[in-house]
This record gives sequence, C-alpha cells and structure tokens, in this order.
Amino acid sequence: MSGKGSTTPSTYSPSPTGYKKKRPDSNWARPDGRTLHQCRPAFLRTGAVNSASGSAYAEFGNTKVIVSVFGPRESKKAMMYSDSGRLNCNVNYTTFATPTRSQAPESKDLSSMLHKALEGAIILKSFPKTTVDVFALVLESGGSDLPVIISCASLALADAGIMLYDMVASVSVSCNGTSLLIDPVSEEESYQDGSLIITCMPSRNEVTQMTVTGEWSTPKIHEAMQLCLDACSKLGKIMRSCLKEAASGLQD
Amino acid sequence: MGTSTNGKVNDFSSDMEVDAFRRLFPLRFHERHLAESIRPDGRPLGKARDTTLVLGAVASANGSALAKIGCTTMLAAIKMEVMAPTVEAPDEGCIAIEFHMPPICSPLIRPGRPAEIAPVISKQLSDTILRQEIICHYLELSLVSGKAAWMAYLDIYCLDADGALFDAALLSAVAAFSHLQVPVVSLNDDGRIVLISEDNIAAMKEKEPVNKEKRKLKLDSVPFSLTCVLHKNHILADPTSEEESIMETFLTVVLDSSSFQLVSLNKPGGPGLAHTSAIQECVELAKLRVKEVQKIMNEATSDMEQD
Repeated sequence: MSGKGSTTPSTYSPSPTGYKKKRPDSNWARPDGRTLHQCRPAFLRTGAVNSASGSAYAEFGNTKVIVSVFGPRESKKAMMYSDSGRLNCNVNYTTFATPTRSQAPESKDLSSMLHKALEGAIILKSFPKTTVDVFALVLESGGSDLPVIISCASLALADAGIMLYDMVASVSVSCNGTSLLIDPVSEEESYQDGSLIITCMPSRNEVTQMTVTGEWSTPKIHEAMQLCLDACSKLGKIMRSCLKEAASGLQD
Repeated sequence: MGTSTNGKVNDFSSDMEVDAFRRLFPLRFHERHLAESIRPDGRPLGKARDTTLVLGAVASANGSALAKIGCTTMLAAIKMEVMAPTVEAPDEGCIAIEFHMPPICSPLIRPGRPAEIAPVISKQLSDTILRQEIICHYLELSLVSGKAAWMAYLDIYCLDADGALFDAALLSAVAAFSHLQVPVVSLNDDGRIVLISEDNIAAMKEKEPVNKEKRKLKLDSVPFSLTCVLHKNHILADPTSEEESIMETFLTVVLDSSSFQLVSLNKPGGPGLAHTSAIQECVELAKLRVKEVQKIMNEATSDMEQD
C-alpha cells in the first residue's frame, strides 16, 4: 500500500520521530489517568455494516475497530471438499490509523492470530463445505489492537448468527518493570518489557489463545493471567448485554 | 423487511412472497414500484436518503469526517505531511486523494482482489476536488518557499457500500477539509519541519514558528453531488446498491455550493440514453439536494464549534 508510484514526492511527518519515550520512574500515572488494573471503558455495538451478514464496532479509548462477517458462503473454487466449515480472517489498518502514515503493523500476522483465536470457539461442523469470512478494519490504533479486534470479531460472529460454543473475550496485560498494566495504550506498549494476551470463552472458562512475549518471571505470569481472566469475564458480560440490547431492540 | 410498506403491492398475499418476487424478478419488482411513483424503501423518486455527518471521527488525523447517506458510510481523514516542493512551483503544496474499499464494506469484495470501482471513484474525486482548485488554494499549503510545503494525504474509506458511493465519498472528503486544522510547526536546525508540541516547546522557544497558529483552510465554495439512476422515463435520486445493480444507467451531477454552477456532469455510458430534458431534471434535483446537504454541513460544523 505504501508504494504509491514515482509521481508522489517523498514526504515525512512533522511529529517528532524517535518517539520512544523513556519509561517514567516508579511513581507515575497512566497517560489516560487510569489505575494499573483498570480497563478502558468499552463501547460496543452490533450491526455497524448493513451489507454484511453480521458486524460489530468496538471502541476502547482511541482504539476503534469495525469487523464484518460474511457467509457462510461458497468456498473458493480451488478449495478441497471439506466436511467442516472454513474460517477466513483478514485484518487491515487504515492509512491514518497510526501516528505516522502507513506504518501499520504486519497485517498477515494479525490475521493469522485472529484466525487462531476464533477457530476454537466456532462450531465449524455447522456449516460444511462453506466459508465464513471475518474482515476487520482498524480505523484508529490506540493500543491493545489485537485483543479489541478479537473481541469485536466474536461479537460480529454472534451478530451474524454463526454457531459458537461461546463468545470469546480478549484482554492484554503489559509488564512494565515491577508493575502490570492491563489494557495498555500505544504509549505504554512502546516501553513495555513484555506482554501477555489471553483470549478465553468466559462462560466455559476455556482459553482459546494465550500469547506471552518479552521478559517475564513465573509469579508475574500467574498474576497477569489471573488479571486477564477476570477482565475477560467482565468484558464477556458487556458483550453479552450488547447482544441482548440489540435483540430486544429488534423486537420493539 | 419493510418491503410491503405502503400497501401498494397488494397482489402478493404475504411478505414472504414479496421477498421471493423481489429476488426472482428484480426488474419487474422495481418497475411495479416506479409505476406508482414510489420506491421499495418508501421514498418518492426524487428524494435522497437521510444523511448524517460527524466531524472529527478520527483523533490520529489532522482532519476527519464520517458521512452516512442511508446505509452508505464513508470515513475520510486528512494527514498533513511535509514535502519538498518542485522547482517549478516552489510555493505550492499538494493534495493526494485515495479512495479505498476494504473488504468489510461489501460481500462482493474479497481481500487481495480490489474493487474495480475504487480507482474510478478515486479519479473522479481527484478531478472534482483538485482540478477546479475549488477547495484548496495550493498556495495556502506553502511553508518555506522552495524548501518545504504541506502534502495533504486525504484517504477515504468506504465502511458500508449501499449505492451512491461517489456522493457519500465527496461529502465526507469536503467535510474532512472543513474540519482540517493545519498544525503549528517550525523549522529546526537540520532543516526539517517539526511539530511544536508541549514536549519540545522549550527547545523551540527561540525558533519562530513557520505558521503562527492552528488554522483552517479557506473554503469559499465547495462541490456537492447527486447521483441519479435513469430508467425509462423515471429518474431516481440517490440510488441504493440494489437499484444500482438492476438499473444500470447513472448520471452524476456535481454543483458548486455557492453559485449552484455546474462543476461536473458524468454519465458513464450505460444501456440507457439520456434526453436533454432528463439531464436538466437531474440538475434541478441536484440543486435541491445541494441546499439540503449544505444545511447538514452547517449543522455539523456548528455542532463541532460548540463542543
């Protein structure tokens, strides 16, 4: 997407580069004034895109994501026959999502992470021979993008009426020296030592995906997991009430 | 589905049958409506869908707007970057416009296979916004003569495609320009333009800012458009994607908002041919529509200023 042809002159953003700020010392507040173990307020809505079978919009602080679900529909011609359905995921960033234009993270990587996080929760046997497409567009990247994409995609799948064992909720924790920050914003992510993302099905208490990167000690991992699981079950409740609201709105 | 509204399709006993008829004989279904001068969604032929406009939808951009015409949703955002102006025009900035249709917007678009219509609309938008120089005087985008000028990247994303894409895209683009705030910058020792923010305000104190304050571009007159579908003797304003797919002759009129003069008129072929009278009628409809859109635009701007 960045290769725009030779006609456009090369440009640069006036915002200061080498933006990696030093981590503040021990006594410091989070940029948005939250406590360490407080998530950003979540805004969720289903039915954002009319032309899709199901869709959802999620806004966690400055992280804004739209997910559309299409299908179940005919698989690509080249695909082999399959008894169980297929899931196809794709994540894209808008060019203005990040502070510097077109510097979005690798979307292939995110797409496969999304696929793996959702796969375990979908009853693929319920739509043999066909494909369900899950497409995500990040309108604005404000930190913890992947967990927001995953939660939003799960809501969109439910909105599309795809059979699920349970909805999945996803939350990340970032390790900063001795403290754990839940649901980090971009600035916090830029100076973290390690991060942990858990995607789970809250009512079945099962984890579909867990990713740990960076430097961690075992007790810290335990603590972070517990934090994430608690936050996931809370997020699960919000997602559930969002679906209920949409359903009761339809009846009126 | 609200297909059986208005009770005009009484020949079909139940909702289910109407739906089946709509799918099997789409053209007859629509012609039956047109004969009664009404459309399947309950609109009269010449009326556009409800339109909403929200300014400042994306915080990471310098200017942004979300436009919704019926279900068609467009998100436009402008990011300002710095470029070296060309030797021929040392005082001129540049605007790059791109229209995107990500796979989320329509079941017809798959990843890796970009929509054919996207570059067409991209070109149409560039022609409308840039060629006439109605929106931006390029001179206003100059920073340091011969050394630095603004490059405005305008990216428009279609979030939901339900017909009249160009109209919605143009509206969101114009609104994004009206929301655009050009940031305060100064020239540092390396000859680069940097943003003056709270972090580096001390270092920049002795430097004179290149442009004094956050400012808006001057918008004298802006273009607004209306797309119509021509089918036999009927003219349908602001078609939905269903109507576009069934009746394939379009006519897009772009008018200037202050003088109502014609900016562009586009009838990209199609099976139907247009009489002069039909074209005139489209222009009349567009005039009414431009007044309507202008009102919506003014409301959105004044809402923004109150906040």
